[in-house]
Amino acid sequence: MKCRAGAIFTILLLWSSPALAWDPSREDGGDAPPEVEREPDPAPFIAPPPGTYYVTDTYVADVVTSTGALTTYSTTTVHESTGSYARVLDTVGTGASSAFDGSAFNGRRTLGDGRSVAGTYYENYVLGADGFVPVSIVFFQDDAELARLLSGTPVPGVNTAPSIPATTSATPRPSARACCATERPVVTIASPTRAPIQPRISLIPLGGPLATIEKIRGRAVSLYPRAFVGDREVRVRSWTVIAGDAGEAVLTTGSGAVPFRTSWRHLAPPGAVFDVVFRIEVDTPETGHRTIDAAIGVVVRSPALER
Amino acid sequence: MVLTLVLAPLLLITLAGVLQLGALRVAAARVRAAADLAALVAVNDQDDVELARSGTLRLSADAVEVAREYFARELDLSSTLLGSAADEIAAAADIAAYPAAPAHDARTGARYDRPTVRIAARVPVKTPVFGALAFRPVTTIDVLSVSSPR
Repeated sequence: MKCRAGAIFTILLLWSSPALAWDPSREDGGDAPPEVEREPDPAPFIAPPPGTYYVTDTYVADVVTSTGALTTYSTTTVHESTGSYARVLDTVGTGASSAFDGSAFNGRRTLGDGRSVAGTYYENYVLGADGFVPVSIVFFQDDAELARLLSGTPVPGVNTAPSIPATTSATPRPSARACCATERPVVTIASPTRAPIQPRISLIPLGGPLATIEKIRGRAVSLYPRAFVGDREVRVRSWTVIAGDAGEAVLTTGSGAVPFRTSWRHLAPPGAVFDVVFRIEVDTPETGHRTIDAAIGVVVRSPALER
Repeated sequence: MVLTLVLAPLLLITLAGVLQLGALRVAAARVRAAADLAALVAVNDQDDVELARSGTLRLSADAVEVAREYFARELDLSSTLLGSAADEIAAAADIAAYPAAPAHDARTGARYDRPTVRIAARVPVKTPVFGALAFRPVTTIDVLSVSSPR
């Protein structure tokens, strides 16, 4: 038995031959192409911080104008390129705080009721040998308020009349002057020219804007927060209910394609309405990334018997 | 014995009359509730097109039909008390809708400051005991229901 097994093993050993398979991991280097000698870049590419753009409009000054009861907070700019760059740090709504409060060289104003104005913080850069160097932060105010609102004492969620809170009017967006650069006499930063954005709320996707609606108690309603530049509608990226009584809402935040669906099962006090305030976010090449607030008053009515 | 024979029918007649009056009151309450519910349902139907256009509350265009339909449905639940079919009673009812306010009701002279639905109906109710006692076997109940959102 042992002899037979040894014979079989010997026969198999004699019949063996090397396999001619291709070895993908073999590194003989024989067929490697000659390495091309690369020339150094004449101007090495320096990646800018995300969101940075070339400034074409320069900050001039903060402007506060009053027309009747309307006070507008805006920023003036001059169309000028100084070779500097900028990027958006934060866009804040009326009364909202920001991590950059106090860091802007031009400060941030307050409305008549003490709330901070809405606007956008920009950081200014100059391109040096070591890359983009931040030189300053500027705040572009963009807000408005109605004087009549200051006389009332708003009750959270319930106001005695439909009113428009201090809303971000869309003043043409500016640029900023860097205050601290020493290499240049004036370092200016600007954002792209941005058109005014008008927030609107409607009950159907293509419906007209409404400031107040009357609803039957318990009946569902869909509200569409929308944004317009002039007469043209721009895409709403998202919306969020930031104040007011949202009722039995399905969602309090959503994308622009989704309406705000809710119903109210309770009534406001006699003579009062529910004010619902939306924060609408738009982010298009034309408008840039911005947020605007829109409010709608809701009068909830309940069918009752008249005796 | 004689006194019992004389007074027993009177007592039975009086008892039957009292029971019939109670049944009539129950029927009247149910008919009134039917009208109230129908008016409430009709007012609860808001005109969505007008709401989307102007944001204001107006009654739906079919508020009268809705009120009539639900009036018939509600009456049908008390069909054993009625002197005629619920559908006939509802069809004969004077139902008016005032989609926009203010409005004046020509029938009642009332002024409505909000969208209103008004139901005025004459509902025949069976009163068999009264009929047996030489009264009318069917008593008509006038019902008026007005509803508006407030």
